[in-house]
Amino acid sequence: MGKHLHTVNFNRKIIVSMVLIIVSIGGPRAVAFEALVTNERSGDVIHVDEDGRTNHVVPICNRPRGMVRGLVDSHVIIACSDDHKVITYNRATRTIESEISPVRGAMNIAIHNASSRLFVTNEGAARASVFNLSSGQLIAELPTGLEPDGIAITDDGKTLFVASENAGLVHVFDGSNYEQQGVIKTNLRPRRITLFKKELWVSSEMGSRVEIFDIETRAKRDEVIFAPKGFRPEQMTPVDIAFNDLANEAYIALGSANHIAIVDITTRKITKYILVGRRAWGLGLSPDKQTLIVLNGLSDDFTLIDLQTKRPYLTKRAGLIPHSIKVFE
Amino acid sequence: MRSWIILLIIATSLMNHALAASFHLAIVTASNAEESNRGRSFAGIQTRVERPVRRAVELALFESKTSFEAFGIVPELQVVDIDAKRSLKDQLKAIHSNALIILDLPKPEFVETAKLLDERGQTTVNVRHPDIDLRDMLCLPSLYHTIPSERMYFDALGQFLIYRGWRKVLVVHGPTDKDRLRTQILERSLKKFGANISDFREFTLSHHPDDRDKNKPEFLTGDASYDVVAVIDSAKDFGRYIQYSTRRARPVVGDVGLTPVGWHRTLERYGAPQLNERYQSFDEENSLPASEAMSDEEFAAWSAVKLITNSLGTIDAISETLDPREILAHPDTQVDLYKGTRGSIRRWNNQLRQPILLATGDAVVAVAPMPKFLHPKHYVDTLGLDEPESRCNLK
Repeated sequence: MGKHLHTVNFNRKIIVSMVLIIVSIGGPRAVAFEALVTNERSGDVIHVDEDGRTNHVVPICNRPRGMVRGLVDSHVIIACSDDHKVITYNRATRTIESEISPVRGAMNIAIHNASSRLFVTNEGAARASVFNLSSGQLIAELPTGLEPDGIAITDDGKTLFVASENAGLVHVFDGSNYEQQGVIKTNLRPRRITLFKKELWVSSEMGSRVEIFDIETRAKRDEVIFAPKGFRPEQMTPVDIAFNDLANEAYIALGSANHIAIVDITTRKITKYILVGRRAWGLGLSPDKQTLIVLNGLSDDFTLIDLQTKRPYLTKRAGLIPHSIKVFE
Repeated sequence: MRSWIILLIIATSLMNHALAASFHLAIVTASNAEESNRGRSFAGIQTRVERPVRRAVELALFESKTSFEAFGIVPELQVVDIDAKRSLKDQLKAIHSNALIILDLPKPEFVETAKLLDERGQTTVNVRHPDIDLRDMLCLPSLYHTIPSERMYFDALGQFLIYRGWRKVLVVHGPTDKDRLRTQILERSLKKFGANISDFREFTLSHHPDDRDKNKPEFLTGDASYDVVAVIDSAKDFGRYIQYSTRRARPVVGDVGLTPVGWHRTLERYGAPQLNERYQSFDEENSLPASEAMSDEEFAAWSAVKLITNSLGTIDAISETLDPREILAHPDTQVDLYKGTRGSIRRWNNQLRQPILLATGDAVVAVAPMPKFLHPKHYVDTLGLDEPESRCNLK
């Protein structure tokens, strides 16, 4: 984008921010939390509090992307894509505790606490790898389609799901012997996969929908197609999905459509669209489930949404290209 | 006739799937009929990428390996290199009746071959010619176009100029019939979005002093008021010298400077770096340097194969014959183009709808449609021949 354009957008953003500030007067005072955000281009992790303040900026590695909670509450596990490694970061001491390397093109992560296993997608290598999280030992390498992204393991550790963006497939593996059990056909460019109760929710970025599959039978149960006012269906590019069982709501970041959608988990009805920043993709839910934090990948900021009023009340600067978020008490 | 069949060796672990079908694919070329100066201007200087599309076709098949294995599909690629001395009809008979046929041919051979194959009800794809007459006049029901049309390219440029507020355009064009025809198409695009054309100036390659008004960029672009200079120079002979030599300090767009393209090696978003990286490295024996770009023609050929393979996942029921007629006619046929918005087929003229990139040599400056150019039906249908203005109505 040219300089002139940037100014236009910037001015618009100032106006938007002013509106948000007005809204925030007398607005919600969220219960204290600490959110960690990986920024893939600035190569750091930022520590953010409930007021949207960035309290620490910690340089961490090259292109940190996927992040999950570690085995203990003070740890997060972060995929460092361009360093081909996975690190364990201690958020209390703000230091790297340990690392597993090499992990080629580490992109997204899932862990299984009970068995202390780490599951990573290897973006450029068309596979997923399994490690012992404590010893760092490689347990298995699983062939997937090209550009594997989302990865999820069932609570009982018995079934592993890996989405391949290019292939339009979710590969299903046995969580014990790692044999491929089959594939699930998805719409174009499956990104994130999220398990909720007996269902697997898959965001299809280029198919502009979220598809819902039965974990047991792997049959497609439903799909959610988005249509905020003023957009065409093909402009929806959903990525992250977050569940709030307390409110029976799912939140879906709609990417280039610059909105998030709120979906009733039972009826699959879209109850609201909320305008956020540019290319909304990462989602984090506060521990009290009153605040949703949306990472805006193209405007390098994040938006806090009050889930009671369903209003965005604060947008603050992040690092460069914020990717993933985890929120702690 | 030099024609052969290549059975791509697909990993042996075909899953015990009910479906065990062949996906037939053919490329028709005429290597002897090609102009000898492929992509070169005067003195042998390479100014355009013009090469066979086969590498891109093989890349698309390589990408689909997992899906082919999962669904028990065996791809079969057939390459037919036409010999002008023999009957074209006979040579085309070697192509499988269910093949998706990619025509990598110069225009005269292209038209003849497309017509013959249309008579036989076979499915062909235009991956090389943006020419409007192939959409509007030839208008064959069996012929699909995955290369953008000239109107798509120029509409993208027109939107960009309006978006930037560069409404006064000086058009400088070459003397060939092709340049004049493309200048008319550019004019239509500029008018469609409300730009004003300050003047049309035709250049000449002659260096003769009497021709200096037409051969010196300073004079060619003098005595006019304009925000931007649009250059039409299909051969890229002269236009390259207009940048930095205009009378007024104005940007240059069109066939030089900021150029509308279907694909670019520096697109940073939408997964594009991965596709570019794969294009360069998937063939281990013939990997390419990172500067080697996939051309628009190659991208169009890749898109054609991906239209079929992507649809294996999105269309619920595909019959075992993997008939391209059936797949391409299906309303859910779509393709992930790594350009931010999925591609699909315009039913009125079989054109692949897709975003267009506006790029310099080393950056994608914008992706059209530009913001605020809205279409009542489809996001990218502000680019190209829309249904009401199309003379071809295949639906």
